[in-house]
Amino acid sequence: MRNIKTIIFVIAFINLAPLQSTLAGQTPDANEIVNKASLAAYYGGDDGRTLARMKIVDANGRKQLRQFTILRKDMEDGGEQKFLLVFSRPADVKGTVFMVHKKPQSDDDRWLFLPALDLVKRISAGDKRTSFVGAHYFYEDVSGRVPTEDNHIFVSEDDEFYVLKHIPKDKTKVEFDYYKTWIDKNNYLPMVIEYYSASGKAIRKIEALDVSEIQGIATVNKAKVSNLNDGSYTLMEFRKMKYDLGIPEDIFNERSLRNPPRIWLKGK
Amino acid sequence: MSRNLVDFSILKPLWIYIILTVLTLGIGSLIINIKVDTDPENMLSTEEPARAFHNRVKQEFLLKDIIVVGAVAAESESIFNKQSLNDLKVLSDQILKIDGVHKSDVNSLSTIDNIEQAGEGAIRFEWMMAQPVGSEVEAKSIQKKASRLPFVVNSIVSGDGKAATIYVPILDKNESYRISQEIQSAIERLSVVNEYHITGLPVAEDTFGVEMFIQMGISAPAAAAVIYLLMLFFFRSASLVAAPMVVAMSTVIIIMGAMIGMGYTVHIMSSMIPIFLMPIAVVDSVHLMSEFADLYKPGKNAKKVIAQVTKHLYQPMLFTSVTSAAGFFSLALTPIPPVQIFGMFVGSGILLAFIVTIIFIPAYISRMSEERLLKMQSKLHAKSESNGESATNSLIARVLPAWGVFSVSNAKTILVISLAIIGVSIAGVYKIQINDNPVRWFKSDHDIRVADRVLNSHFAGTYDAHLVFEYNEVDELTSDWEKRLITQLNSEVISQQGVNQIKQVLKEKSSSDKIQEVILLADELSFESSGEESVLLNRIVADAEVLVQKVKYFTRPEVLAYIESLQQYLLTTGLVGKSNSVVDLIKTVNRELISGEEKDYQIPSSQNGVAQTLLQFQSSHRPQDLWHFVTPTFDKTLVWLQMTSGDNQDMATVVKTVKEYIEANPLPPSVSVNWAGKAYLNLVWQDKMVSGMFDSLTSAFAIVFIMMVILFRSLILGLLAMLPLSITILFMYGMIGWMGKYYDMPIAVLSALTLGLSVDFAIHFIERTRTYFEETKSWQKTVVLMFQEPATAISRNALVIAFGFTPLLLAPLVPYITVGAFLATIMAVSASVTIIVLPASMELLKGVLFKAGKN
Repeated sequence: MRNIKTIIFVIAFINLAPLQSTLAGQTPDANEIVNKASLAAYYGGDDGRTLARMKIVDANGRKQLRQFTILRKDMEDGGEQKFLLVFSRPADVKGTVFMVHKKPQSDDDRWLFLPALDLVKRISAGDKRTSFVGAHYFYEDVSGRVPTEDNHIFVSEDDEFYVLKHIPKDKTKVEFDYYKTWIDKNNYLPMVIEYYSASGKAIRKIEALDVSEIQGIATVNKAKVSNLNDGSYTLMEFRKMKYDLGIPEDIFNERSLRNPPRIWLKGK
Repeated sequence: MSRNLVDFSILKPLWIYIILTVLTLGIGSLIINIKVDTDPENMLSTEEPARAFHNRVKQEFLLKDIIVVGAVAAESESIFNKQSLNDLKVLSDQILKIDGVHKSDVNSLSTIDNIEQAGEGAIRFEWMMAQPVGSEVEAKSIQKKASRLPFVVNSIVSGDGKAATIYVPILDKNESYRISQEIQSAIERLSVVNEYHITGLPVAEDTFGVEMFIQMGISAPAAAAVIYLLMLFFFRSASLVAAPMVVAMSTVIIIMGAMIGMGYTVHIMSSMIPIFLMPIAVVDSVHLMSEFADLYKPGKNAKKVIAQVTKHLYQPMLFTSVTSAAGFFSLALTPIPPVQIFGMFVGSGILLAFIVTIIFIPAYISRMSEERLLKMQSKLHAKSESNGESATNSLIARVLPAWGVFSVSNAKTILVISLAIIGVSIAGVYKIQINDNPVRWFKSDHDIRVADRVLNSHFAGTYDAHLVFEYNEVDELTSDWEKRLITQLNSEVISQQGVNQIKQVLKEKSSSDKIQEVILLADELSFESSGEESVLLNRIVADAEVLVQKVKYFTRPEVLAYIESLQQYLLTTGLVGKSNSVVDLIKTVNRELISGEEKDYQIPSSQNGVAQTLLQFQSSHRPQDLWHFVTPTFDKTLVWLQMTSGDNQDMATVVKTVKEYIEANPLPPSVSVNWAGKAYLNLVWQDKMVSGMFDSLTSAFAIVFIMMVILFRSLILGLLAMLPLSITILFMYGMIGWMGKYYDMPIAVLSALTLGLSVDFAIHFIERTRTYFEETKSWQKTVVLMFQEPATAISRNALVIAFGFTPLLLAPLVPYITVGAFLATIMAVSASVTIIVLPASMELLKGVLFKAGKN
């Protein structure tokens, strides 16, 4: 269902959206683009599974590796989502699990399981801009920033991209002053996101390096976050992405922290 | 050669003027390329293993030079109040906006993370103080949170709650002055409830550079003025005295130009070159002019007189110049590059001054009008004939002959007293305490010294040393694994394509990357394989993962426990204010993960437990902080020691204590430990300085002694020549020992200088004595003559050099003052010793020395 919807969106967009705005001589509605981009980037399919690999590279060029499987289920497009992240590498953190119930309208619920300490812990809601397990990704980059957190301004467009500027409504909660996105007109995926300091200097950049269609859904296979101050970065690769597996909602519960649902993690 | 040179300079004085002007301006113009170097690290050569290791550690643990800003609350107040914390927040925000600040590593209450319990079974990561504080209650709650974090207590907030710091890492330490100025102006916009201090080595270094220029800008011209006035007093002719000033100025300018032109930086040592060269450069001129003034009589041909004088004095001047230069050149034997450069260029400067003197002074005098010469002549002679002499000159003239009679008639008493002084001095030498601390190079009321005192009284210490633990088996484990892997690959189970891909990785990737890359690749290949191939690929993955675990030595609980006990032991010694390591991070996160209670402030019991705890630490706002304490492969770890004293003695005690601890409690297998950090480097170069100075002193002593023997063609006269300076040097170091003054960098340098300078007096004294003895054939007559003109000349030169160094007392930095005060004293002492001890010794040895003169 969802992927068909997306395809329709994409087709409609390709054919009509640029045309409309050109014809009408108006700037496109930034909020609408952002909502579509949020759907494209975080809500592909009704559910999905992917094997994620992160190479975290420090300013000296030294690498750390993380590998985990992500299971996701959308309760509602643009609305509530549930995630389960199960680590497989490095070996000493194997079996570590994160679970997130994302709620755009209120605070997310987050859990953590550490097998070596045999410890389940809730992670208090609050700051979403902490590092995700040492990567240059923030927790919020992984689960998606809620569009209503920012004011969106249309900046420009060309044949390929819409360029938007986003100003956070509450600047005290973030480490940047504003950010800009370059959104692919074909599939609404944000291809580049750049964060700026108050002095207008670009300090951080997220870019989609490889996009392909999987089950008809435009999917980012490779992305990179860079710290523009010191040249360190994290490279994230998504493999074996599959949508619409029919993952049941009840696996996203506390029991799965200690006993991850093997059959959904492995898949066939 | 000398004859031709002198003749040429008298015949073509204008040529000499032109050549000297061109050389001075030409080489002097290179001075504009001046680069100041104030980094104490440069006391060690770049190849020095301790320095190379220190810099490798800095690189591997991503450490930057740090400016420390401290806020101290007023008497009986706490820093944890709304106004103070908000001021700190504003200041920290301002600092984050300054260019050149390494923003992600700034440590202040508003940039650090807090980890704590958030109700039942929950954990919270949050900024300690993301927002301005709204109430006093909130301020107290921040105090409570901060006091729970071992990394923060006594580093970012003081244990007594009265002070807080902001650690500002900077990208380029040459920018520290600008950055500290910007911080200062941000501080001035804050409220006045707290007192602020800015310190840290980069600031000290930059400030040092500024004061170095003040020293060169004030002391060197002041030295020139003092010398000019002194000579004017001796010679009563402004135009005549102008000549040695030209010699001194052009020597200093050419040497500084040459040094800077050759690409050497101006360091604390080389910044003293002008003030050293100035007085030494005029000494030869004083001899020439003294004798010229004596011999020139109205009606005589000035050119002929000066040519005669120059040729006559050529030999002794050459010898004194060469011996002085040898003293300075001996500094090249120290292993301290700035001292080597100082020695080489002062040595060369002395030789240059000699050459300039013998060509320029004759040229200058030959161009003086007869009228002027006569004027000078009449003044000088009028002075010596009338009773209107100056107090000093008459004092010298009255005292010296009596002195001579005294020392000859009391030769035995003088011998006894000298021996007693030598004995007491040797006892003093044994009391010498070797110690240095670059912060003490500032006067005690200097802002930096004040900041140093205040911050070190509140915190665990602003002086850093790093104890670095390394696991040494990594290379061997990796190569063993690689051999096994190659065998597995060659077993023809895996497809050729797969084998080639893995081999490619082994060939291309760096040793730390290839294990992980092999895991990724083999894992991927296993997905597309089946049966035997899949099994082997999975085994390869498992093998490599085992290796990764083995390399992660510093996640093993028992290894971490070793570091933990060492840290605990260090605290009990009272030498270390605090130490920080990855162990403290792990224990803090573990505590909050489990219960938040003190009982869980401990290392998890398994290696995986440690790794998972650290994964949580990395889920904070500042995951990068971890890499200041451990490398990403976990095969090296760093313990950061905070010490309240930067004294080398204290650092040496810490090093010794750690060594003893390790001897009593052996390190975990295959682990080695090494020191890095500024406080440790200072200790290393100080050790080199002490041993290097001893080498340089003994070799200078040997060289000068050999030169003396050759010059006087007599072993016994050679020994006699060394006597006054030996007593002087011994006396000086004995005095330092008895006074309890630390033997530091400037004191160390003095020994070789003393040797080169004070041997001059002995040369002149012995040379003149021999000449008089040959003329009079009587030791008694010789003594009388010696204590008229020659002793006066020696005293004059001693005064020129001694007073020439006194302007260093005006310098803003302690090492300059030390050098100035000691050199002035030494010159005075060694001149006195020369004219007391030499005649007394000659009296005792006259049977051997003056055989022909027995009457």
